[in-house]
Amino acid sequence: MSISMEHMNKIFTYGTLFRQGLIVTVLLSAFTVIIGFFIAMFLAFMLLSKNRLLRLVAGAYVQFVRCTPMLVQVFLVYYAVFGFISLPKFQFLGFIQFERFFPAVVALSLNSGGYMSDVIRGGIEGVDIGQTEAARSLGMPGWMTMKEIVLPQAVKNILPAVANEFVTIIKESSVCYTIGVQDIMFNVKAVQSASFIIVEPLLVATCLYFCLCFPTSKIIGYFERRMRESDKR
Amino acid sequence: MEKIIEVKGLKKHYNKGKIRALDGIDIDVYRKDVMVVIGPSGSGKSTFLRSLNLLEIPSEGQIIFEGTDITAQKVDLNLHRQKMGMVFQHFNLFPHKTILENLTIAPIKVKKIDPGLAEEKAKALLDRVGLLDRVGAYPAQLSGGQKQRVAIVRALCMEPEVMLFDEPTSALDPEMVGEVLDVMRSLARGGMTMVTVTHEMGFAREVGSRVIFMDGGRIVEQGTPDEIFNHPKSDRLKDFLSKVL
Ligand SMILES: Nc1ncnc2c1ncn2[C@@H]1O[C@H](COP(=O)(O)OP(=O)(O)OP(=O)(O)O)[C@@H](O)[C@H]1O
Ligand SMILES: [Mg+2]
Repeated sequence: MSISMEHMNKIFTYGTLFRQGLIVTVLLSAFTVIIGFFIAMFLAFMLLSKNRLLRLVAGAYVQFVRCTPMLVQVFLVYYAVFGFISLPKFQFLGFIQFERFFPAVVALSLNSGGYMSDVIRGGIEGVDIGQTEAARSLGMPGWMTMKEIVLPQAVKNILPAVANEFVTIIKESSVCYTIGVQDIMFNVKAVQSASFIIVEPLLVATCLYFCLCFPTSKIIGYFERRMRESDKR
Repeated sequence: MEKIIEVKGLKKHYNKGKIRALDGIDIDVYRKDVMVVIGPSGSGKSTFLRSLNLLEIPSEGQIIFEGTDITAQKVDLNLHRQKMGMVFQHFNLFPHKTILENLTIAPIKVKKIDPGLAEEKAKALLDRVGLLDRVGAYPAQLSGGQKQRVAIVRALCMEPEVMLFDEPTSALDPEMVGEVLDVMRSLARGGMTMVTVTHEMGFAREVGSRVIFMDGGRIVEQGTPDEIFNHPKSDRLKDFLSKVL
């Protein structure tokens, strides 16, 4: 099958669908990274806790996330969890179905949180223990030491990985078309079946994903370099 | 003389008792003491010092600070730590904060002192160690000697009753040792109670009011600098001195 100009022109009449898909993918990824970050912080503190049970539970969760396919996790959340909990059915922004979008955000966040928690734990542990000792010796309580001294320094170790996770999620969110979230991939399928054109919609999707991910990772690279420079000070 | 810290039967074990970092320490620190702790590497000097403000949790024994047993379960440790300044071998300044912020964060956030007053006080102390012009700098912009002087001032800003030093000059280039010892000397002259772990025997001899010699997690000998350096009794101390002097 060859790529023809005629096909391309036909595809562009479905521009609205691709635009909507793009918005869904961006929103899905943004919500996921933000909510996933909070889940990850929570898990990281569990992983760092003195309580063995908490460490065990968090550790098991991280392994579960890592060792099962994303697709399975998405299905589990959508069919198992939200099979029991019924969500209100409504649309927002005119074309996003909440009852599909929300489970997708939950599933992706749970996944992303698991991956990021280990990065955050590592980032916190990477801060010199002497920093904590100095703060505690000044009479700072543990939580204040964490907030004022350790976390601000850990951010440097954590931020690049969190930003990379954003790129990963933009790409991996494409599995959510399987539960009917109308993201880029979903609309590729829609255009394919409406127009009987297979390849060109995929090319548009490729282009869209690339245009989302490439600048994002460039921006991350820029900030990483700038941070390293402030270290040399 | 008034006792400020009493150490009673202090033990610290690692690896389920296989390593005895401290093996029964009993000592009192009096107000205005300048106690210098010496001894070979691994003798437990750091562990002893760090036990005084409970950075190390003792396996056994008590630390009584100004009449309160701070090893007891329900004491507010943070309250007592405010009164025990600590200076580390590797400075441990907060790299993401300016010198001024390093000095004022604890007074402002822990002691709830008015920020204006805290800054004023910090600047006055910084001036005394000759670093007022670096008030807006970051730690990475300072030399080792300057960092350690700032670290001492950071502890002083909390107005501690006692200052603990763990080898404060060991990480410094030789030419910077003097400037830090000068600050410590003037602190001692000013009547600060100090416990100092150091390999600077000159400092111990000149400034110390009492010298403690540790080996194998115990205090082997203690006395005035003259007694310890000029009239050592135990073989272990004689042996140690022959190596370091
Ligand atoms: N966290 C730890 N786990 C196991 N053993 C430890 C730990 N900390 C210290 N030790 C051991 O306790 C002993 C005393 O250590 P400490 O650091 O107090 O010695 P030191 O006199 O300060 O030595 P140095 O002059 O080298 O600083 C050493 O044998 C050391 O190996
Ligand atoms: Mg030591």
